[in-house]
Amino acid sequence: MKQMIALAVKDMRILLRNKGRIFFTFIWPIIVTVLFGLAFGGNNDGAQGKVKLALIDEDNTDGSRAFAKAIEESFELTPMNRADAENAVRRGQRTGYIVLTPGFGIASERMFYGQPKEIELGVDPARRAEKGMIEGLLLKHASEDMQHLFTDPNASSKMVDKALGEMKDAPPDQVASVQKFLGELKAFVNTPQPQSAASPQAQWQPLKIVAKDVSRQRSGEPDNAFEITFPQGVIWGLIGCMMTFGISLVSERTRGTFVRLRIAPVTRAQILGGKALACFVSILFVQVILFTIAWNFGVRPTSFVMLIVACVSAAICFVGFMMLVAGLGRTEETAAGAAWAVLMPLAMFGGAMVPTFVMPQWMQSLGYISPVRWAMLAIEGGVWRNFSVAEMALPCAILISVGVVCFAFGTRALKEA
Amino acid sequence: MPNLLIEPPYRTYVLTLRDVRKTFGKTVAVDGLSLSVRKGEILGLLGPNGAGKSTSVSLSVGLLAPDAGSVVIDGNLDPAKPEVRQKIGVAPQALALYDALSGEENLRFFGEMYGLSGAVLDQRVTWCLEFVGLTDRKKDLAGGYSGGMKRRLNLAAALIHDPQLLLLDEPTVGVDPQSRNKIFESIEELHQQGRTIIYTTHYMEEAERLCDRIAIIDAGKLLALGTLSELLAAHGGPPMLMVKTNGEERRTQTADPLGELNRVAATTTIEAFQMEKPTLEQVFLRLTGRSLRD
Repeated sequence: MKQMIALAVKDMRILLRNKGRIFFTFIWPIIVTVLFGLAFGGNNDGAQGKVKLALIDEDNTDGSRAFAKAIEESFELTPMNRADAENAVRRGQRTGYIVLTPGFGIASERMFYGQPKEIELGVDPARRAEKGMIEGLLLKHASEDMQHLFTDPNASSKMVDKALGEMKDAPPDQVASVQKFLGELKAFVNTPQPQSAASPQAQWQPLKIVAKDVSRQRSGEPDNAFEITFPQGVIWGLIGCMMTFGISLVSERTRGTFVRLRIAPVTRAQILGGKALACFVSILFVQVILFTIAWNFGVRPTSFVMLIVACVSAAICFVGFMMLVAGLGRTEETAAGAAWAVLMPLAMFGGAMVPTFVMPQWMQSLGYISPVRWAMLAIEGGVWRNFSVAEMALPCAILISVGVVCFAFGTRALKEA
Repeated sequence: MPNLLIEPPYRTYVLTLRDVRKTFGKTVAVDGLSLSVRKGEILGLLGPNGAGKSTSVSLSVGLLAPDAGSVVIDGNLDPAKPEVRQKIGVAPQALALYDALSGEENLRFFGEMYGLSGAVLDQRVTWCLEFVGLTDRKKDLAGGYSGGMKRRLNLAAALIHDPQLLLLDEPTVGVDPQSRNKIFESIEELHQQGRTIIYTTHYMEEAERLCDRIAIIDAGKLLALGTLSELLAAHGGPPMLMVKTNGEERRTQTADPLGELNRVAATTTIEAFQMEKPTLEQVFLRLTGRSLRD
């Protein structure tokens, strides 16, 4: 095992010293994931970085309409009814929805008394970060409303008039109570007292947000373009690693280092195992890098476990391909030429270049002969297709089987060579 | 032809090939080769292109299995066994090095392949670099080395695990005189340390300088084996006498040059004469022929 690890470390060290190989193994998959993801529409949260929300204005007053207009600065709002809004969130078409509840407009005209204005916010509980951001932005706009009341004399006057007006119609005993209250208030404000955090004043907020969980139904469609380009990037990473290590094994043969290794007290299995280990680890490394980037672009797998199973299965498949390339290639040039000649159509029909769902049906069907297609399907199954164990079993079994068969053929070809 | 196989006890020999035969399709690469290498000697392996030298080396280190016959290394019948390979070091003709690794990293890696680690590995790497004169350039990538430096590193990689049997396959191909001299000195030092060396070469002067015994093979068969003087005596033929008389130069191959000289002097005046002893190259060409090999 020590020798296998030494072989793998040597190969990875050599890889990291070759700029061309670094580009095709690490940089190109990142370009595919990020640039193509941005080109295909990003994370669906608005072109200017605004969060997409559905708006349900159940209050439908000047106050609610003014608030809705104000928050358009921060959100891309689409008016809907409640059922459509919930559905849009469940399908991932909107990040969330907000409901301006009845009484919102009246509450907007009060300050420090009565019920604050209330918003119902429906978001997928998995999107905690977005939920926090939405709440923060809503509170910011509510605070700006208060500031507007303080700084705009007309608005303040209107608020006082409204309070006085409400007192006119009050029964005499309530007027007396208010007067008593004002007297006590005067005495209170003249006597400085420590403010309790639990006092009603401390709890009063300009906006009450009632959160509601609307779990997304993760199947059928990707949430954003990065959920399409992330699996594509992974595929290019797999291809890059496969080519790099396959050709490096051919180089070992043509340059004589393979003979030197064979003369050493290590078995053929250890030598090939070391190469396979280096390829496998590099593939996993590329996948982790790509996933980290994809995460930052809003990709949220439906199942981490399924995604890991898919990525490992795809890695096994391409390690097998690597061995086949190494076994069949007599020189670096023939190995690279033959591998690209086979891989390009497989990648094309498999969806690594163009998403399969935009292909005509016959091309989609043809794609199933390509292991690339099964790798894409498995990874998508973990990212947005929400595959069950049974659904994931087929692509993973195919990938592992292809990998094992290719590995066996490759090692046999190497032995004969 | 004398019986060239020296029978057991094998312990006097580090390597013995006995009636070894190897074919590739219809091509017979090694045809009943029998050869023994004594402990501590340098055995030169000479032969034209396609003679079967590389196949013989591959058979000797267990890279190829013979179709018939046996290979015995230090009393062990299976050269592919790890404990047997631990005793063998090979410097292939192709520069079997990683260009993207430094000289030190190359040696460290090959040392790890032989199970070395820690202080022992450090010590061996340091010794090998010093031995081939690459200590100052140990941190440079091997890809940036000159041809001679690469050859020296190739030799160092064969020595990293301190083997007792060394197979050097044309170790001076394409190197400058300085590096060649350094390699010669290194090989002579290894010889003095008591290591057994099989030295494959096309350069006759190298075999004459370095080798205790020389084996000439062609078409997979051993044609001659012995010390330089034994080969010259057995296959070199009589010396060449060159006599200049009356402005004319006459060359005569004779086993009795003095008698021939006296005979010539009795009939005419000798202006000058010179005697040329047979060379290894003449022996080689006499045994393997003058036809071109591709």
